[in-house]
Amino acid sequence: MNIKITYHWLLDYLETDADPYELQKYLSLCGPSIETVEKIGDDYVFDIEITSNRIDMASVFGVAQEAQAILPLFGKQAKLKFNPLNTYSFENLKAEPTKTHKLSVPIEDPTLVSRFTAIVLDNVLIAQSPELISKRLNLSGIKSINNVIDISNYLMLSLGQPVHMFDFDQIKDGVMKVRRSKKGEKLTTLDSKELILPGGDIVIEDGSGRLIDLCGIMGGENSSIKGDTTRIVFFVQTYDKKAIRKTSMVTGQRTLAATYFEKGLDPERVESTFAYGIELLQELTKGVVCSELTDIYPHKKQETHVKAYLKDIQRVIGVPIEEEKVTSILTNLGFTVKKHEDTELAYPDGVHFDVTVPTYRVDDVSIQEDIIEEVARVYGYHNLPNTISPLTYIKQPKYISNLHTVQYRTKYFLKHLGLHEFLNYSMVSGDLLNTLDYQISDHLKIANTISSEIEYMRTSLLPSLIKNMKDNSGRKNHLKLFEFAKIYEPKTGDLPQELHRLGVVVNTDFEDLKGIISALFQELTIGNILVKSGEHKLMSSAASIYRGDEMIGSFGALHQKYAEKLNLTEQMYIAEIDFK
Amino acid sequence: MMSPNNALHTFQEDLKIITSLESLIALETQYLGKNGVLNDALKLMKSLDPDARKTLGQEINRIKRTIVEHISLKKSELLSNVDERSLVDVTLPGKKYESGSLHLATYAIEEISAIFERIGFIRMSYPEIEWEWFSFEALNMPADHPARDDFETFFIDTPVHEKWGKMVLTPHTSSGQIREMLRLGKPPIRMINIAKTYRPNWDSSHVPMFHQFEGMCIDKKINITHLKGTIDYFAKEFFGEDRETRLRPFHFQFTEPSFEVDITCDLCAGTGRIADEKCKLCKQGWLELGGTGMVHPNVLTAGGIDPKEYTGWAFGFGVERVMMMKPGVGLNNMRALYDGDIRVLEQF
Repeated sequence: MNIKITYHWLLDYLETDADPYELQKYLSLCGPSIETVEKIGDDYVFDIEITSNRIDMASVFGVAQEAQAILPLFGKQAKLKFNPLNTYSFENLKAEPTKTHKLSVPIEDPTLVSRFTAIVLDNVLIAQSPELISKRLNLSGIKSINNVIDISNYLMLSLGQPVHMFDFDQIKDGVMKVRRSKKGEKLTTLDSKELILPGGDIVIEDGSGRLIDLCGIMGGENSSIKGDTTRIVFFVQTYDKKAIRKTSMVTGQRTLAATYFEKGLDPERVESTFAYGIELLQELTKGVVCSELTDIYPHKKQETHVKAYLKDIQRVIGVPIEEEKVTSILTNLGFTVKKHEDTELAYPDGVHFDVTVPTYRVDDVSIQEDIIEEVARVYGYHNLPNTISPLTYIKQPKYISNLHTVQYRTKYFLKHLGLHEFLNYSMVSGDLLNTLDYQISDHLKIANTISSEIEYMRTSLLPSLIKNMKDNSGRKNHLKLFEFAKIYEPKTGDLPQELHRLGVVVNTDFEDLKGIISALFQELTIGNILVKSGEHKLMSSAASIYRGDEMIGSFGALHQKYAEKLNLTEQMYIAEIDFK
Repeated sequence: MMSPNNALHTFQEDLKIITSLESLIALETQYLGKNGVLNDALKLMKSLDPDARKTLGQEINRIKRTIVEHISLKKSELLSNVDERSLVDVTLPGKKYESGSLHLATYAIEEISAIFERIGFIRMSYPEIEWEWFSFEALNMPADHPARDDFETFFIDTPVHEKWGKMVLTPHTSSGQIREMLRLGKPPIRMINIAKTYRPNWDSSHVPMFHQFEGMCIDKKINITHLKGTIDYFAKEFFGEDRETRLRPFHFQFTEPSFEVDITCDLCAGTGRIADEKCKLCKQGWLELGGTGMVHPNVLTAGGIDPKEYTGWAFGFGVERVMMMKPGVGLNNMRALYDGDIRVLEQF
């Protein structure tokens, strides 16, 4: 996924002397790839690619933390001004709120929601956002709408945790019941699209039983913030990533929130996002907290530990990186590092590090190689020398080298005779197979095809080549085509047999086709070839090609009945030969 | 039997009408050849007395010299006229031979194989319809990995195998890594696998089938510098000596660390700008080549190799993609290669 953030927004978190272009260059080499930098007004917009394992980095803070680790190795200063994960916590929720309103949150299946936090605010004044926020959002490709909705998006991009707001008065009895949807249930989302749910989706229903949220993807229209909304529910959660991805893909609602949730978010970050959100809401909407805090978090996410040996780090990277450098790189990335040294053993393993992995990296960093990657990338791949892998002799099996040789010689020979190579999909349509009287059941079928054109695995190259001929009819006087490819013969309980075949089709005449085939055998110095009159389901005047006693192929005219069925305007001659 | 003097006379008459080298050579044979006029005359000498024989011999030799001189003169005359008197209009077209074509992927596969053969990598082939275990589990992609869902991989409608899972159309060539480890039993391994790969994605710029090439090197003491050096070697051989590569951190399940390889853009020479405009082909001077990394220890283990003793690297790049990135190929949409239009394909 890609996110857009701005340079000045980044500077809210990061103290640095690097300019936007230096940031682009250095971060791309060692961390998040900044694909473009665009100067707009007095700010700069970064378009950043985030890999699926680093969703923690898909935020202004996440990029700032990477910059803190990376820039010093390029001689640039970089230091986090503050760490929002420490700064914002539930302890900041000021004063004792008036608890005039109540939320009730039954969770039907706790595996759906790893953490659910919510609170109600009263006296909310919907208005325009301050210029700073609306401008930054607009530059980041998100339309500024009003202060409440803008805060949602601002939080998401600041810390990488999507949040949502409802109009509290639209939620019957303050009940938000989290459950799986039933197949066929309907919900109209914020963008006025009526969705028919595939079933198993995470949804919230209110006290009247109507659905108000397609969780992690988009809120319901019925509970959305309007211009006259005064009481809102602010809520932040983390969901089962698989359920979110499935719903998002099946309904086609590929929202930015969904692309966050489907990667799996850190429930620990929910708290800081929530606390920061309350601060912004109180400041910008004058809202006042009027309910207790709901925080359902049955299994607290724990930090983990990974052991990494200095000698292994150096061995895999291929250069002697110093111990201090390893420690500083990891520490700047948010890991806690403790050094140990074995000296007692008969064969000491030397220095190793006990690395504490922060919760937001736990899913990504679990073995020594993960630590090696962190060190290697920040150290900089550009600082490593280029060495060609040491030479050694590996024997290539003879049948493989023979096959490749025959393949090239055949292809070039046919090209020089004036034939054109086509490459067709390995899958064909059931229609084509039916037309040519093939048994559909003799073919492997794709269970989840995206088009009936590509549904069955070929057992012959001829149907595709005949189709090529028909499609190209009239485009050229003489059409002579060939394909060298595998066909797939099903076997019970095992992978299919993949056989190499050569298919040839021409619109000239029988003599031409036979001449091509004879010349090819001569070129390949394959002797012992005999042509006898034979039978082939697609052909009239069919000939069988024998090598010794073994039949290796057929050629002939395409049978008139198929020419009829396919509405062909000219006769074609076809051949198919096995290559072992 | 002609008398020698007569022979000279008829020769001179014959010579007058000679206009080509071919007929001159025939004339030469007629008079001077083994069974020519003069030799016939010499054969008569046996029956003469010694004086007459001597006289006739001298006479014949004199005539022979004269004929040789005449022929030589005529030959130079004819040769000096050859160019001027050529009757061929060389600007007319020659005999027409139909020209054929090969698919762009064929050329790419041939070139890629050759580049890696030079540094000791053998090209192998593995199943294109594969078990889930080889395509995913063994490559450290657990059952809930998004690449394994219906949107990313084609599944075959057959009963699930107790041990190996479902049957799939290879979504990448990486299953070849496991196949090669199991085939060889232990390192060293230097393998290149070029094969068809399939993804359920078919629109104006995507095709459901394309080719990938997978490289893998496993041995003792293989490190990131080997991966870097080998890929840089490939890029320079395939795209040109003036191209630079870089590795960027990335994420793949089957490698750790993982990288994406970029190569400097050909169009803007890596500057990201053409005149005063942004280059439309690349991202600020760089083009993505593909994914690579150090083989994940779980993958080595699945292939029966001890990750404590051996390390290795692997990469998987798109064949059509690298071919389209090659200078001068002039093709910008992969679909054109698979739409089966002779007017496009015959150009290669």
